[in-house]
Amino acid sequence: MKKAVWSGVIAAAVVLLGSSSAFAQQTAGASIAVTAHVDAKAKLSLSLATIDWPDADPDVVTVFTSAPVTVDVKARTSAGGNVTVTVLASGDLTSGTDTIPVNTLTWTAGGSGFAANGANDKTTAQTLGTWTNSGNHSGSQTLSLPNLWSYRTGVYTVTLNYTLTAP
Amino acid sequence: MRLTVPVLLLIVLVAAGSAPAAQTSNATLNASINSAARLSLSSAALTFPDADPDTSPSIQAAQGPITVTAKARTSPNGTVTLTVRATDELRSGLNTIPASNITWVASGAGFTNGTLSATTAQPIATWSGSGERTGAHTFFFRNLWSYATGTYTLTMVYTLSAA
Repeated sequence: MKKAVWSGVIAAAVVLLGSSSAFAQQTAGASIAVTAHVDAKAKLSLSLATIDWPDADPDVVTVFTSAPVTVDVKARTSAGGNVTVTVLASGDLTSGTDTIPVNTLTWTAGGSGFAANGANDKTTAQTLGTWTNSGNHSGSQTLSLPNLWSYRTGVYTVTLNYTLTAP
Repeated sequence: MRLTVPVLLLIVLVAAGSAPAAQTSNATLNASINSAARLSLSSAALTFPDADPDTSPSIQAAQGPITVTAKARTSPNGTVTLTVRATDELRSGLNTIPASNITWVASGAGFTNGTLSATTAQPIATWSGSGERTGAHTFFFRNLWSYATGTYTLTMVYTLSAA
């Protein structure tokens, strides 16, 4: 009788061991190699394409002042890369053969990385803003031109070319 | 003496005919069904092409949906789980982009949407009991202007567990 009991215990143990190994946790694995391409790019936008100052009495309006021009800069560059926005005037303000020096067309600017003030130039691009690394930047620029009695009458024009560089 | 011999033969034959005609025996059939797990993916590579962040703020992987086939044998009502973990953040030299900028949208019974992590295995699917399941997930890369340029890589490791 004693022998029979031990046999039963052994048999149960075997069953339990068998059950344990049959349902042991199993794992399977696989992998995927992921590649993301991030290339250099630059995007510049201005809120205004035209500034038009109507005639005004120089004693009343001593300085022509534009509405603020919003400048949005988006750039992807290498780590530590310099992002720069420059402005180059196409020439002096011109009306036929009459001119107003473009370096009297000045600006004030606001926004992180923007030059607080500056004067336009027709030969050397002037820096409006500089940043480091990729990112979005937004600021505003207000242009001003003194309104002098000495100007000859006419409609004076100039084009300001903005260039965003992100190496 | 001539009569005696046939009688004896007849007795022997009758005796033989009365013996049992069938026997029984037992045969034991053991079928061992152990737990098992098998996982297959339709692609071993995933590529996110470059794109303008303004027009493509989220870039879908060029390979399209990845089909996942998970086969598992487990105990009755045992839990079968499929997880994925990134081995690292997206890395291009010294530059990194968090792996969490990769997300997926899943289809198929038991499959769930999720966000990749380099620190914690993220659940992709959970089931109960043995079976073969198929689903798909489509990966997306969050495309930001702030990333430094480069070719970023990481490896996603899938693990299928059948308890």
